Amino acid sequence: MNRFFNLPLQKKIVSIYMAANLIIFIVNVFLVLGINNMARDMELVYQDNRQLNKFSESLTDVQDNMTDYLSSKTTDSLENYYRSAQNLQMLADELGDKVTDLAFSRMKRNIKYMTLNYLEGVSQTVEAKRGRNVEKYRTHYEEATELYEYIMDYIRGLNNEQFVSNSQRYAELSGAFRAFESLSIMVLTLVMAGNIISIIIIVGMMISPLKRLASSANEVAAGNFDTTLPGTPYHDEIGIVIGAFNKMVISIKEYIIRQRESMEKERLMQEKELTMEAHLKDAQLKYLQAQINPHFLFNTLNAGAQLAMMEGADRTYEYVQTVADFFRYNVKNHETEVTIGEEVTLVDNYIRILNVRFSGDIQYHKQVDERLLSISMPTMVLQPVVENAVNHGIREMGDKGVITLRVYREDNDVCISVSDNGKGISIVDIDRILDGSWIKDEKQPDTNGIGMVNVISRLRLFTGNDNAVAIRSGGLGKGCEVLIRLPLA
Amino acid sequence: MSCSFLSAKIQFMGTQDKAEKAAEKLNNQKYLLLTTVLFTLATLVVGALVFRYYMADLGKTQEVTEYDKYYVMITDNYKSDFWQSVYKGAFDAAKDQNIYVDLLGQNIGGDYTCEQLMKVAIASQVDGIIVFANENTEITDLINEAVEKGIPVITLYGDSTNSKRLSFVGVGSYNIGREYGRQIFNIIKEKRREDFIESEKMGHRKTMQIAVLVNTDSQDSGQNIIISGLQETLEQENATNSEFSISIVPIDNTNAFSVEESIRDIFLNESIPDVIVCLNELNTVCAYQAVVDFNKVGDVNILGYYNSEAIVSAIEKDVVYATISIDTQQMGQYCIEALSDYYDYGNTSEYFTADITLINKGNVAEYLQKEETDE
Repeated sequence: MNRFFNLPLQKKIVSIYMAANLIIFIVNVFLVLGINNMARDMELVYQDNRQLNKFSESLTDVQDNMTDYLSSKTTDSLENYYRSAQNLQMLADELGDKVTDLAFSRMKRNIKYMTLNYLEGVSQTVEAKRGRNVEKYRTHYEEATELYEYIMDYIRGLNNEQFVSNSQRYAELSGAFRAFESLSIMVLTLVMAGNIISIIIIVGMMISPLKRLASSANEVAAGNFDTTLPGTPYHDEIGIVIGAFNKMVISIKEYIIRQRESMEKERLMQEKELTMEAHLKDAQLKYLQAQINPHFLFNTLNAGAQLAMMEGADRTYEYVQTVADFFRYNVKNHETEVTIGEEVTLVDNYIRILNVRFSGDIQYHKQVDERLLSISMPTMVLQPVVENAVNHGIREMGDKGVITLRVYREDNDVCISVSDNGKGISIVDIDRILDGSWIKDEKQPDTNGIGMVNVISRLRLFTGNDNAVAIRSGGLGKGCEVLIRLPLA
Repeated sequence: MSCSFLSAKIQFMGTQDKAEKAAEKLNNQKYLLLTTVLFTLATLVVGALVFRYYMADLGKTQEVTEYDKYYVMITDNYKSDFWQSVYKGAFDAAKDQNIYVDLLGQNIGGDYTCEQLMKVAIASQVDGIIVFANENTEITDLINEAVEKGIPVITLYGDSTNSKRLSFVGVGSYNIGREYGRQIFNIIKEKRREDFIESEKMGHRKTMQIAVLVNTDSQDSGQNIIISGLQETLEQENATNSEFSISIVPIDNTNAFSVEESIRDIFLNESIPDVIVCLNELNTVCAYQAVVDFNKVGDVNILGYYNSEAIVSAIEKDVVYATISIDTQQMGQYCIEALSDYYDYGNTSEYFTADITLINKGNVAEYLQKEETDE
């Protein structure tokens, strides 16, 4: 069965067609054979009667010829008599002489013997006639004729009997014919029904994988790659198409998975790279921090301050103390948010240290609204801004450089302004600084590493406002002001 | 990751489930297909076989037995119950010995006389002839011709004493005569008693008229013997001559319907006989019908012959006084026995006598019961 289903589609369809036709053909052959058989039987039905009629004709021939010879004594009639007598003898010999239950057989037997007797009588008659024995041939003739009548009667009786029985046989045969007719119609109908059912089933079995393939294809077309893949029950063309479809769906699925995986990998790589960078930065910082042992530094500075106090050098003591405070702020401040007051103190300390270093060259003005000092802000913001103003603004101006720090309230904002009267800055540079495209000059050594870009971006993040920082300058030589706006509360 | 794996597993399981279902469906279809194809082929085969057997059954001729010998029985009227019964006895007896007996005339169209049938039988070269003969010279000659041609001839019921027949199978006619005599004497005794009771009638007592119906055509010695037996019995039984007178009524049986006419003629006469003795079956039936038609039931006593159904029922109805029952089967058997003896030993007994029984009102019920059990 499987071998059949594995055949190519064309062969399958052709063989189904051929098998159905073959079965119908066989039925028809049976039908024709049966009809033939019955027709032959029917032909034979009345054969006995025909045979008997032939016999009686022959008998009459003999009788007529004998009579003819007796009356005319012609050579022709004698010849005819001999011929017909021989014929009759032959026919009589053909009749059986068996005694059975069947009336026919006994009648035939009697007819046979009577005919033989008759022929003998006739031949005696003819002999007597030739011998011109008038008396003798007369009696012989009468006897023969009487016997002839009996035989004819017997034949008629037999004919009748046979006709009755043959009619019965004929009726039986035609009954059988009708039975055969209905039987063959029944068989034909059943075989047809069987054929149709078989073909429906076979075609259904052939087509069903195609149907499943169609529904699967529909699902795949709708985007569901996880649909049930149809099985390939047979290796015909449909099976091949299904196999190819299945392979295609699977490979598309695999391709999608591979694509997804590679994207994932790429993302992971990026993540990793970023973390690596952060970790590197962290390590670098840790490294730098580790180099300076803050306690050692503070203790050293404190020791210096105590020494200066004991020696009565007050200014030295104050300077060392300020430096110690400045660094302590840097070291201790790992929090991101501090108060404005703390930032302002850091700026004070920074300016004081610079003034010691540069022997009081920088004039530092402070206009601070004391109420705003407890407002929080990002750490390490003001000192870099002030350092920037010193380094780039007033460095070369000697004692004419002025740094003004103002903390005031404007509307709902706390404004912190750091202005100088230094060499100013061009608008182009201001834009560069504000949009973060300023390239740091690595040759400048006097910074503590926190540039303006960093400060600006941190302030922007803190306030959530891109205009948190503004830089104003009247142009080259006209000073510069950095204005920071913090939201109140 | 694990979630997608799980869903994939579920998906896989679902797929497997569906695949199993599909495979199961396919299997079912395969079975259905196989069943249908087998059913179709089976229909074909069964149809062919049924038809073949049907035809074989139709074409089969019935079992045919072949017989060794062929005898024929020749009677004057093969249709009569009496001859049919004799024939049956002979047929059954012959069949046991693988011999077939034909009742000649059955299959030939037209009426044939015994003589004509004899000629047919001789010409047919049968192995034995059983013939209802009479004392005619024609039949005697035919019997002799047959014997000369080597065919043994048995005369049945009617003899041809001068022929070379092998033997005669018949009934004891004298015994029959005696039985009839006894029955007539019984009737006379009844009449005497009636007359005695009605004593005033004693004076003018009537002589009882007894009519014996005899066939005109045959010189049947049997009839004469019956009549003499009858007479002797009555004389022995103390019946005085004044009490009865026997008359022989000839019945013309030369053509088919003359018997009935002759019997009716008796009833058209002025003096109707008190007792009618019939010596064959047809006469009995005709006499019975005439008595009924002429409203003479009770006045005319019929002594019948043979135990056909009609006659026995007539006894039951009191129309026929008594009848003689002949053991016809035995008669048939004797015929075959005689022929077989001839073929086996070259000779056989010259006379066979079949048993007779009297049936009258007294034993008719018993007889009917016996018939029933025999069947």
